[in-house]
Amino acid sequence: MTATETTRVVRLGEVVPDFELETYDPVRDDFGKFSLAEQKRKGRWTILFFYPADFTFV
Amino acid sequence: MGADIVTVSTDTKFVHLAWKKSEKELANVRYQMGADPTGKVARMFGVYDENTGLALRGTFIISPEGKLLNAETNFYNLGRNIDELMRKFKANLYMSRKPNEVCPSKWRDEGDKTLTPSAQLVGKVHEALRS
Repeated sequence: MTATETTRVVRLGEVVPDFELETYDPVRDDFGKFSLAEQKRKGRWTILFFYPADFTFV
Repeated sequence: MGADIVTVSTDTKFVHLAWKKSEKELANVRYQMGADPTGKVARMFGVYDENTGLALRGTFIISPEGKLLNAETNFYNLGRNIDELMRKFKANLYMSRKPNEVCPSKWRDEGDKTLTPSAQLVGKVHEALRS
């Protein structure tokens, strides 16, 4: 995604467009992937918890 | 608990790993730590701060169908109350099973008073909450 490309912000009640994130999974102590499409397929609830930066308070 | 929690910052997965392993406060952390170094996902949820390149403290509950049901954002200097997040999640879970009911502000857990909107409830919320 380029800086000039605008992303429309998802509003309450809308279906969130599919996205993926690379992850670190502490349980497996390995890198992994989060996929919203997979959550929808598996019928799982998701809580996204954004925070400014590692090595700060959460 | 019935939900997959994913924490997200604009750090990379490598930094997540290093932080998790060095910070003792994170010893019991079991949730996935998502990396959003381009801010693409943070922008999607309206929590990307273009001035700093960081994500604000945004919390979002997404249903199994992918619908965004709850959004809350704090500025940098205010931490979140996890009890309130759990209350909101439990309420959403309950209402997904009982779509005719709504959870008022004092609802905390299964068994607490809910309301069922109807013509009879109009002007009678006070009485309904105390019945």
